[in-house]
Amino acid sequence: MWYLGSIQTNAGGARNPKGCKAVRLQEGTHMKPVKRRSFLKTGVTAAGTALVQTPLAAADAASPAATVIVVHGTDIPKMLEAGIAKLGGWQAFIRTGMDVVIKPNVAWNSKPEQGGNTHPDLVRACVLAAEKQGAATVSLPENTCHPEKATFQASGIAAALEGTRGRLYRPAKQDYGEAEIPKGKIVKRAFVPKDILNCDCLINMPVAKHHSGATLTLSMKNWMGSVSNEDRRAWHRDGLHQCIADINTFLRAKLVVIDATRIMLTKGPQGPGELAHPYEIILSTDPVAADAYAVTLFKKTPFDVPHVRIAHEMGIGCGDLAKIRVERVEA
Amino acid sequence: MPEAWRRGSVLLPGLSPLLSLGGALAARAAGVLTLLGLPLLILPLFAGRFFCWRLCPMGFAAETVSRINRRNTGWIRKIPFVGKGLALLILGSAAAGWPVLIWTDPLSVFNGFFAAARQPLTWLSAATASGFILILLASLIVPNLWCHRLCPLGGLQEWLSQLGKSLRSARCAKEGDEIPPLLTHARTGRRVFLGFALGGVSGSLYRAYAPRRVTTDTDCGGTHSCGGRHGHGPGEGEAGQRRRMGRGSGAGLPIRPPGAVQQAFNALCARCGNCMTACPYGLILPDLGTTGPDGLFTPVLAFRNLNPQQEQFCFQECTACTQACPTGALRPLTVARKQQTAIGLAHICRNKCIAWKKGEYCVVCQEFCPYQAIREVERNGVMCPIVDADKCRGCGACESQCPALPIAVTIRGRDPQTVLAHPSPALHT
Repeated sequence: MWYLGSIQTNAGGARNPKGCKAVRLQEGTHMKPVKRRSFLKTGVTAAGTALVQTPLAAADAASPAATVIVVHGTDIPKMLEAGIAKLGGWQAFIRTGMDVVIKPNVAWNSKPEQGGNTHPDLVRACVLAAEKQGAATVSLPENTCHPEKATFQASGIAAALEGTRGRLYRPAKQDYGEAEIPKGKIVKRAFVPKDILNCDCLINMPVAKHHSGATLTLSMKNWMGSVSNEDRRAWHRDGLHQCIADINTFLRAKLVVIDATRIMLTKGPQGPGELAHPYEIILSTDPVAADAYAVTLFKKTPFDVPHVRIAHEMGIGCGDLAKIRVERVEA
Repeated sequence: MPEAWRRGSVLLPGLSPLLSLGGALAARAAGVLTLLGLPLLILPLFAGRFFCWRLCPMGFAAETVSRINRRNTGWIRKIPFVGKGLALLILGSAAAGWPVLIWTDPLSVFNGFFAAARQPLTWLSAATASGFILILLASLIVPNLWCHRLCPLGGLQEWLSQLGKSLRSARCAKEGDEIPPLLTHARTGRRVFLGFALGGVSGSLYRAYAPRRVTTDTDCGGTHSCGGRHGHGPGEGEAGQRRRMGRGSGAGLPIRPPGAVQQAFNALCARCGNCMTACPYGLILPDLGTTGPDGLFTPVLAFRNLNPQQEQFCFQECTACTQACPTGALRPLTVARKQQTAIGLAHICRNKCIAWKKGEYCVVCQEFCPYQAIREVERNGVMCPIVDADKCRGCGACESQCPALPIAVTIRGRDPQTVLAHPSPALHT
């Protein structure tokens, strides 16, 4: 299951003080039992092919390493396909009728070549793949930092999604639901877009870049682009790195795809800054492992980034490069 | 308000020649919106006050209210046509560069009412609606008072229609006119001249004795950390800071919208509320006293200090307000020019800053700054922010996002606005 926390529902939709409708599932009940079952089946299939390892198991057993697929190439859609093939194909993640949520990083009003946002080709390729797999809906909620209209346009993602069913939007107040995060040390509850809370398949698709506050922003930090502004602010006050780790105990993508076709080395997260071009995309089912590998592109070690270290220590995933199996693919 | 309606409504005040042509005269600069004033300069020569009785939205509202009160209809005859004098006064003083009473224009008053209809409605945003309400009240007490006696735009059209009539009568003078046209013309001409002259004198007086802006302690008393050059004195607490900073975070010069003219802003601003309507982020609010006694209801920017929920800032690619001003109090700016124009300067209070005070990872201000004007210095392994005054445009991105409680970054206005040499990194070419 992508979220590990117990979720409770408030069927009546009681209003919390902030005016958002609370969306919580009763503990033990499932909002979408059929889909959940199909999801479990998927998980079993994936485990059967021994390509997908649930990270908790990885953390518990400690011995089997997490797998990170690193695809090098220039044709982004082809790179994505090659990487996914290594993880068991799209059917390991998306089945007919699923509600798919993709979380790209589209926070800034900057152009694709500046490396401030996820590459539009990557987002488009993923949306098209989800459609091909028969996804019922494909949503891309993104709480942008710049005004959304300009941001979606400048990033090239609005144009990339034309002709697809991918719905890129900035969640309004009523689009958020409150989630409990029982395993969080500091963050106990957060406002998360309802589409993310209710989806069957969550795909995390950040861009790797420098970040002034959090050292680097990779897949785990990407959830800060989903939660409400109030949460974002509070997390900066309360200890940013622990809060990033906390949200990752709850929001767990089935698939992490890090865009490292070009990476911003300085002046992040907004840029423009110095760029490097590794021409890589990094795929994993373990966000900590994916981040740990991505850190090395910046000539750092994983534990130089405090939230990677904290997440590793909390057992969210494996951040120890020695225990991660890195599989390189050329596409 | 629907987007198309909002964009369209911005054109209305420009129709008044008093605002568009008077403003251009005073600012010594003309824009595209100036041309909007021409039709109402020519129409009255042939059609009299056709606009007033048929088209003017303010007139329609005032006339409708006037119908309610049937008793005081006769009072109006005892009152002179103040509006005719007012029109001359405005144009005369505009020629002198400092227009007086330009905000009495009915179209700006009308638009001001709708500028107040922006979301969210507060007492502050409703302030621009007061002129409209006053006119309706006056019309209720003395019916037709506004249109027939007070309106400067009506007065201007009255003059123009008289001019048109006399031009026509001079061409085909009929016999048996009771007053020789020459004499009427001479009398009228004298009045017009006197009106203009009075306007010129009052404009010059306004320029000479313009009230200075009320400034509240711009550099926070010296020991405060301005731009990171000097730290706080030891042991200085919140109380000491509040004392120095006046009324909390809002202290300092008010922030004008980008493109504000250096001189005579308060005189040129018609309080039409166009800039407030045009701003997609609702940042511009009417001022209530921080810009001097003559600056009531002029536009100032508020990022957070007046609206704690506000999360937007003066976006680097937006020039909406500068394109909407009918009088030229805000000069139209291109995106490139706007990104070079500094409207304010950020100020980081180290006693409140999460990085400086608590030693936590933060620098959201640096993250959001579109101009890379926040430098980081490392202190005990944590990056701390410092404002670079040569790069800071005062866009408010940092203030709007600062997570500290109470807020650590505030923008103080720059007066006059400066054009920076630092090339904008946010410019997409």
